[in-house]
Amino acid sequence: MTDIQTDEKGASNPATSSAAEKEKETPSTSPAEKNKPPNYKRISDDDIYRHSSQYRMWSYTREQLQEKRIDTNARAVAYIEENLLKFREAHDLAEEEMKVLEAKAIPLTMEEELNLVNFYAKKVQVIAQHLNLPTEVVATSISFFRRFFLENSVMQIDPKSIVHTTIFLACKSENYFISVDSFAQKAKSNRESILKFEFKLLESLKFSLLNHHPYKPLHGFFLDIQNILYGKVDLNYMGQIYDRCKKRISGALLSDVVYFYTPPQITLAALLIEDEALVTRYLEMKFPNVEGIQEPEAKNMTKEAQNDTSKTEKDKKQNTKDEKSSIDAVKLLAVIRECKDLIEEPNPLSTEDAKRIAAKNYYCQNPSSLVQKLKRKMNEDTSTAEKRQKI
Amino acid sequence: MSSSSQFKQLEKLGNGTYATVYKGLNKTTGVYVALKEVKLDSEEGTPSTAIREISLMKELKHENIVRLYDVIHTENKLTLVFEFMDNDLKKYMDSRTVGNTPRGLELNLVKYFQWQLLQGLAFCHESKILHRDLKPQNLLINKKGQLKLGDFGLARAFGIPVNTFSSEVVTLWYRAPDVLMGSRTYSTSIDIWSCGCILAEMITGKPLFPGTNDEEQLKLIFDIMGTPNESLWPGVTKLPKYNPNIQQRTPRDLRQVLQPHTKEPLDGNLMDFLHGLLQLNPDMRLSAKQALHHPWFAEYYHHTP
Repeated sequence: MTDIQTDEKGASNPATSSAAEKEKETPSTSPAEKNKPPNYKRISDDDIYRHSSQYRMWSYTREQLQEKRIDTNARAVAYIEENLLKFREAHDLAEEEMKVLEAKAIPLTMEEELNLVNFYAKKVQVIAQHLNLPTEVVATSISFFRRFFLENSVMQIDPKSIVHTTIFLACKSENYFISVDSFAQKAKSNRESILKFEFKLLESLKFSLLNHHPYKPLHGFFLDIQNILYGKVDLNYMGQIYDRCKKRISGALLSDVVYFYTPPQITLAALLIEDEALVTRYLEMKFPNVEGIQEPEAKNMTKEAQNDTSKTEKDKKQNTKDEKSSIDAVKLLAVIRECKDLIEEPNPLSTEDAKRIAAKNYYCQNPSSLVQKLKRKMNEDTSTAEKRQKI
Repeated sequence: MSSSSQFKQLEKLGNGTYATVYKGLNKTTGVYVALKEVKLDSEEGTPSTAIREISLMKELKHENIVRLYDVIHTENKLTLVFEFMDNDLKKYMDSRTVGNTPRGLELNLVKYFQWQLLQGLAFCHESKILHRDLKPQNLLINKKGQLKLGDFGLARAFGIPVNTFSSEVVTLWYRAPDVLMGSRTYSTSIDIWSCGCILAEMITGKPLFPGTNDEEQLKLIFDIMGTPNESLWPGVTKLPKYNPNIQQRTPRDLRQVLQPHTKEPLDGNLMDFLHGLLQLNPDMRLSAKQALHHPWFAEYYHHTP
């Protein structure tokens, strides 16, 4: 928890904080301004994010996330194994059949589940993009889908069956109006299957539906970078970087960074991938009192070292409470680098692997189909043997 | 997650924008709640208005905003379980009418309600959420004198840019002149205008601009606030529904308009504050946060720790 909270600190969007400063600087003649109560405090975007249901309910440390996945998997495994046991007891199975069951009717592991969910999350993205939905709707679809499978196992609900459900709910919650019938037609699905699990989805999402994605901070950072580095950056080039960052962000939404980092941190990480020099220069200009953030030590700092600096930074902060310097740029950059590494981590699952996991998922839920398959095969074998004898 | 059997449904409280609201009793805790029942229309699944309200209420935890405790699903309906409030501001004001003469509230109560209204609204706006339908019916009050914003059925989240909202929101009487003239770039200032109308109504007991259609609504506003022009409100003549032929009016003294309807004297601070909310030009209206820092509220913020 503390990890996220300190991360949070670094996440305040420079674009908005500079806007706030401008607001302060403007001489105001309104009597309301002159009579600010002593407890006046502007709520930052960071504070809002910290109060958001996304942060409260869907942000985790690595350990918490791992635990959650293990737990969801374990509950499903217990259920599946109980069913398998019942199946074995209810049927008088031959030795051959028992062998097949033992070999093939096995619940998925946590890793297999995760791989399958990620495989389908990518599908959600492709389908939503194919339907020409706005970027934010696509992003919300993905986050709904992935959160659903933090709460539910693919062994309980087939991921295929809620792909369209999540996209349709994302349309509704992002205020992008489309009727279920025209959606069904475009997505080549039907109303019943789209709506079947809608409430289950809402419930699994704990009715937390408002999403903060890194696209808005991307817009803010680009305005601020152009402002801070005015005359030093080529606008055409910035346009290209913007588009490339947008793609990076769309990729990042399929990874676990969304659970560990705040949207502005993910944005900066995407920027760092595209142009490290630009980001470091921007941060240096933004926080001129922090020296040497480009030093190699910063890059390879251990966790302990980071904590040390954060402590001294905290002391500093207490002295210069209201100054710009309250953002710890060194720590911020270290956090962003961590985030960047995670975004860049390859996440390959071939269609064949996905098919293999999907088949395993099917058999562990439907042991009878394995037995039938075996029977069919044995029948075929005997009939071919008979045929051979005739010849 | 609660189940529907946990609540005993009592009398009907009213109709919301898309649902019926009942009083309910939580049988386990003995606490009253408001049950907002949404019919599940099998055509489209959960209505998007409900989705939107749930989505926003999950983000808005504040003492001056009605709390959403839970959502319950039964076969053909969805029930939103809200914090129960004894009354709404509309009914409360109506109950004070003597014969046919509406009566305003005592000014110290007006101030306390207005303070809470702006506290709740400031929180919405800081959370980047517009209410868009503020009116006395949607301001819920209880016996302790607390006031909370309710019915977020028309509310929506905003970011940058905010120029794609439909102009068909906010009950006519509390609708801002920029929205009435077809502006689609409105923002937090539309809620502030509504707050101004509500403040005047609390003082006198009757609505300030009770128009029956868009045109009359604008006329009523201009009759009192004066007709806007380019120098007072740059860009006003470019608004889609701006009518260049409308009769030119000079602003009336708002104090003279309101004073006959209340026994208590309306002081300069109050009038300055009301003017800050009822600016024709949306850019000139106070923000919710600024409004809370107005000297009219001095006694409140000097006492907050």
